[in-house]
Amino acid sequence: MGGFHADLPPAGAAKTPMSGEPAGEVRDLRLKFPGEDTFVFKDLTFRVERGEKLLLLGPSGSGKSTLLQVLSGMIPELVDVPMRYSERVLPSAWGMLFQDPDTQFCMPYVDEELAFVLENRRVPREEMAPRMRDVLKKVGLELKELHVPIGTLSQGMKQRLALASILLMEPEVLFLDEPSALLDPPGRKQIWQAVREVAEARTLIIVEHRIEELLELELVDRVALFGPEGRLLGQGPPEELFRSYRKELLAYGIWHPGVWDGYVADFLEAYQETGPTVGGQKADSYRQAPEGREQGAQVCKPAGKKHGQTAPLTERKSVGEPAGQPVGQPVMVLTDFRGFRQGRPVIHAAQASVYPGDFIAVTGPNGAGKSSLLLSLMGLLPSEGGYRLSGQDMSWSKLRNKMVRAVAREVGFVFQNPEFQFVGNRVDQEIAFSLLEETAGSEEVSRLVDEALIRFGLAGLEARHPYQLSLGQKRRLSVAGAAVLKRPVLLLDEPTFGQDAVNTFAILDLCEELRREGAAILMVTHEEKIAETIATRKWEVRDGVLTDCGLTERGRPRAGIANPATVGVEGTAAANGERVSV
Amino acid sequence: MKGVFAPSYRTWMHRANPVLKLGGSILLFFLALFTHRPDFMLYQAVVFILLLFWQSGYAFWKILLVVLSFILVFISSSSTMMLFGKGEALWWEWGLIRITEESFYRGIHIGLKSVTLAAEGLLFVLTTPSVGLFYALMQNAKLPPKFAYSFMASIRLLPMVWEELLIRRNALRIRGGQRLRGPRGWVAAIRLYAVPLLSQSIRRAHRVAVAMESKAFDGKGGRTYYYPSVFTKFDLLIAALLLGAVSLALLLGGTLPVFSIADIRNY
Repeated sequence: MGGFHADLPPAGAAKTPMSGEPAGEVRDLRLKFPGEDTFVFKDLTFRVERGEKLLLLGPSGSGKSTLLQVLSGMIPELVDVPMRYSERVLPSAWGMLFQDPDTQFCMPYVDEELAFVLENRRVPREEMAPRMRDVLKKVGLELKELHVPIGTLSQGMKQRLALASILLMEPEVLFLDEPSALLDPPGRKQIWQAVREVAEARTLIIVEHRIEELLELELVDRVALFGPEGRLLGQGPPEELFRSYRKELLAYGIWHPGVWDGYVADFLEAYQETGPTVGGQKADSYRQAPEGREQGAQVCKPAGKKHGQTAPLTERKSVGEPAGQPVGQPVMVLTDFRGFRQGRPVIHAAQASVYPGDFIAVTGPNGAGKSSLLLSLMGLLPSEGGYRLSGQDMSWSKLRNKMVRAVAREVGFVFQNPEFQFVGNRVDQEIAFSLLEETAGSEEVSRLVDEALIRFGLAGLEARHPYQLSLGQKRRLSVAGAAVLKRPVLLLDEPTFGQDAVNTFAILDLCEELRREGAAILMVTHEEKIAETIATRKWEVRDGVLTDCGLTERGRPRAGIANPATVGVEGTAAANGERVSV
Repeated sequence: MKGVFAPSYRTWMHRANPVLKLGGSILLFFLALFTHRPDFMLYQAVVFILLLFWQSGYAFWKILLVVLSFILVFISSSSTMMLFGKGEALWWEWGLIRITEESFYRGIHIGLKSVTLAAEGLLFVLTTPSVGLFYALMQNAKLPPKFAYSFMASIRLLPMVWEELLIRRNALRIRGGQRLRGPRGWVAAIRLYAVPLLSQSIRRAHRVAVAMESKAFDGKGGRTYYYPSVFTKFDLLIAALLLGAVSLALLLGGTLPVFSIADIRNY
């Protein structure tokens, strides 16, 4: 392998004398993945000084992660990729933190995983335990004992453990390859805090899309922006770069500061008329229609009190009765609904209803029961209590397969990982799959599929295998597959997770369009902005209890209800006031 | 879920060196394989089942469940030999089925053999955690760390595959779809599960491998060990225990014979 690059003559720029030894450098880099037509890099020269804190930005596929691997020497030493360069300086000691918290470990326990690194470095056994405690403390992961199963840690904790294990390498250069992309907001904050704690006297080279937390901590002093095809567009201090390259950042879907505010402003303007139009009738009035709509609502406040459990079950006479008000009827009503895992109740909803045109954000910490809620609603977990869908009672059936089928006729479901729900071998087959079950005419099906292809930005890709799509395309396809059936309710499990800004906004726009056509959207999300500004209503799941937090600011004026939380049960006046003042 | 499969207490067997246990188990395996005296075979089965109750470290009822399943092992392995084996002294005949005295005893012998092997295997597996086994193999049996860590890493990945299997099953239940019947349906179902699970697993394995190698794991050269693998008095104890168990079976087979057949092959 070594001979391969050495034999090639240097291409491109002439050498300039450099002062001091860099932490990493590559000159005239050319790199191409086997089987691809275009170069990832064409004559790129890149240098990182010692002690620098550098952030690499660029659209997906611009080769940032590849550059990280080249600068560390992973390419071509560990991952064989054909490349050439005229000169290369590798860091003497380095460590790399990867994106997926679950695929960085080879051992089942925290201490064993850390020991793996120490063993590789031939550290005597007696020194291992103290060193482990030392690094765990540095990354803010204080465990009562070292022998803890890694599986019991949260994703954010796992990522800090991965950082700890890399610190045991005593790296001079820390490479961070989107380490916070798959974490929830608290996890993101913690990992960047941990990085800052250990950044002193080290060189940091970071690739990341989600950079709000990172910039808040003023972690980086140089940002390098890459364009498509691995060209270096510009570099400089963060503020300067963000000012001069705002347009590119937006186009590349990078989560730069202020991107949400811009989107939300556009979004609210574009969708000013928020009422759903069902059957040509504007449905402004439906909010006021059923009395008791807000009776189940409670003031949301931080966990601790089990207020949801003691909520009175208000009888709602209007529910389920044929009243000749098609839009005024809730599509989903839960009354004292419980879902079970292995016989234990994991989610409880005292009272909650979903109306056509609702955009409900389901929030709450990891492990609180959001997924259990969705699975119970789909009939995939056993449940009991009142559950009505479009007026039909869904709680009658103990036969779960029957219930899943009955629910699936009313509710579309979008899984967190799109690949798991794909069943077709082509994009168009994937969209047509469920349609073929129900729609008789194949002409009708192909018309609907063509429509969906255009609407979800997948036109021209119909012959591709779903697995060969980009991350954002996969996500849109998974929504298309569920939405094409035009179910009254659409459940989405963290659809924007790990997506870049452009794709996140595309998903939100699509959901909003479906909502305006009269569907009810129920979206599990960690994104505060979605819950506060895009959604019309917020549900919170904490410690296995679902609480309806009432309408959001966006949902409120339309409904003409000043304070949806007036019937809050145990809500304190203070918390109540906070919400009103939002 | 995990708690059910963890032993409730540690016995001498848990404390012994996994390499010694592995060697002992292999020897016992061959002994059972080359035992031709039904009485000796019977008492081996009895003794190792008793040892399983005593030394596995699991609650009595759990082991009882396992041992009850041995009945199935016994029936399935002995019946073929009994029903279709060769022999002179015919007891019963019906079509192809032909039970003779010889085939009957050979069937019993084979059944006992399977039960013995099952008990010995379980005794080893239930008292040896995989991490401990691989650490001992690296240190005492010169297993290259490359292989040891590949195995340990892949064991860690198994629960993730299982979880994804459940997710996929849920997804397919929601999506519905025309179920083909018969073999074609089977092939279709396997494809529906295999493609997403395999593609995830391959990507994950690649990522784990890269992460491991980036942590200075080159699979060669010297290394230190977090878990020392040493031989202790428990190893002597276990060696004596296994030897004692075999001697006891031999003794009982001689003094309390049930079948009184010297060699099943020449019966």
